[in-house]
Amino acid sequence: MKIRTFAYFVKEAVKSMFRNGLMTLASIGAVAAALLVLGCFIIITLNINYIVSDIESQVEITAYLNDSLENDQINDIGREIIQIKGVKEVVFVSKAQALEEFKERLKEHKNILIGLEEDNPLPDSYRIKALTPEDVGFVAEKVSSIKGVAEVKYAKEVVDKLFTITRWIRIIALGFMAIFALVAVFIISNTIKITVFARRKEINIMKYIGATDWFIRWPFFIEGMLMGLIGASIAIGILMGGYYYLLKVLYTHIRIIKLLPIKYFYDYAGYMALAGAIIGSLGSTISIRKFLKV
Amino acid sequence: MIRAYNVSKVYENGVVALKNVSFKIDKGDFVFVVGPSGAGKTTLIKLIFKEEEPTEGYLVVAGRNLSRLKRRDVPFYRRKIGVVFQDFRLLPQKTVFENVAFAMEVVEASKKEIHRKVPLVLELVGLLDRQKAFPSELSGGEKQRVALARAIVNNPEIIIADEPTGNLDPDTAWDIIDLLKEINLRGTTVVVATHASQIVNTMKQRVIALRKGLVVKDQERGGYRIEN
Repeated sequence: MKIRTFAYFVKEAVKSMFRNGLMTLASIGAVAAALLVLGCFIIITLNINYIVSDIESQVEITAYLNDSLENDQINDIGREIIQIKGVKEVVFVSKAQALEEFKERLKEHKNILIGLEEDNPLPDSYRIKALTPEDVGFVAEKVSSIKGVAEVKYAKEVVDKLFTITRWIRIIALGFMAIFALVAVFIISNTIKITVFARRKEINIMKYIGATDWFIRWPFFIEGMLMGLIGASIAIGILMGGYYYLLKVLYTHIRIIKLLPIKYFYDYAGYMALAGAIIGSLGSTISIRKFLKV
Repeated sequence: MIRAYNVSKVYENGVVALKNVSFKIDKGDFVFVVGPSGAGKTTLIKLIFKEEEPTEGYLVVAGRNLSRLKRRDVPFYRRKIGVVFQDFRLLPQKTVFENVAFAMEVVEASKKEIHRKVPLVLELVGLLDRQKAFPSELSGGEKQRVALARAIVNNPEIIIADEPTGNLDPDTAWDIIDLLKEINLRGTTVVVATHASQIVNTMKQRVIALRKGLVVKDQERGGYRIEN
């Protein structure tokens, strides 16, 4: 295809987009809505996955020990733990170490812990790493039955809960997105239908002059694709802006929640633009097949 | 140039448009196809354009058997035929120049070629000074001349005119017929479907007469009247 011919197609597409302004706006809006849902879904799921994997990477069992154990007893417990099948690594964390770590985590708010050194309420503990996440449950059970172990904690429940949440979010979001995408395809195909109808005389003349089918179809195809792309750009703009703002607010006020940095989503913005183009092309293809008898 | 072999056309609704029609039009011929409304003239033109397929028989046009012409080759085949309609079919939002240039854009001619060729054909049809006008500013005769310029700009081998004078007053009609004859003298085969008996009788050209889907007369230097 010659560049000039392509320029002609784009010109025709843009012209007709302006000619049926309202329908064009509706089409663009529908694509934007569909992709906004998709985008929110991507942002939420990826962030939850990020948090979950952060937790998962430390699927670590903490066995808090009873207070008032002798050093020997503590060592015995350690040896007993390491003999359990599925245990990879055991680290002893003393009361004092635990307090230090706590201070570390609180950073500039650590002052609230001043004075606890003399009467440290934190217990001694063993941190146990399992060979695989599947071993965690079994190991935790075994450890809790050892004498001198007060309490066993591990993150599995949290992990499971988060996974359930993400699964539901995924199902609901995909459902909404599918509906919105269908609506967008429908509206776009209607807009193209109007364009085809408005230009039926021209199409008829083109046919008689010997225009190839694709020469006639291209402008409509491009029109659909452009509407999809513009809709996608709007959705991407809103999402990026919104996410940027959210990160800023979180960073200045609630530092504990760590979300994925915005640059992580650049690739996904590309996919969304692609999705917009596909929705648009699909809408126009339906109309071209149905109403453009060339 | 155009040969029809026992062509019949029955539409899906049962209307018989053409019955066992055979004829031969040679390169450089000027032929009138005459007959009352519903005689099958329009169907014949549609068959030549491969807009419709014959129910029986086949046509060979410009060296191609239309029954064997592949769908993707149809546009390229159509470029060998220029067409003019009774209702002109110009694009109202385009100027005279652009309407003619459009035919060349569709076949992806270069800009240089367009700017060389369009003034030439506009001069031939006598509209060079009107090239910036829009169709709404033109008289019927001028519109038909633009349509004619558009039909010939891609150097077709055949010009088909479907009632080209149907919407024109007699004097203007003659201008158009004279132009068609001039184009014919330059070597293009011209087929004119018409009701205009006076023109047909005066021109004394080949006449193919259709009635109820049958060829009832095929005569060199013929007249409009159908003798039984």
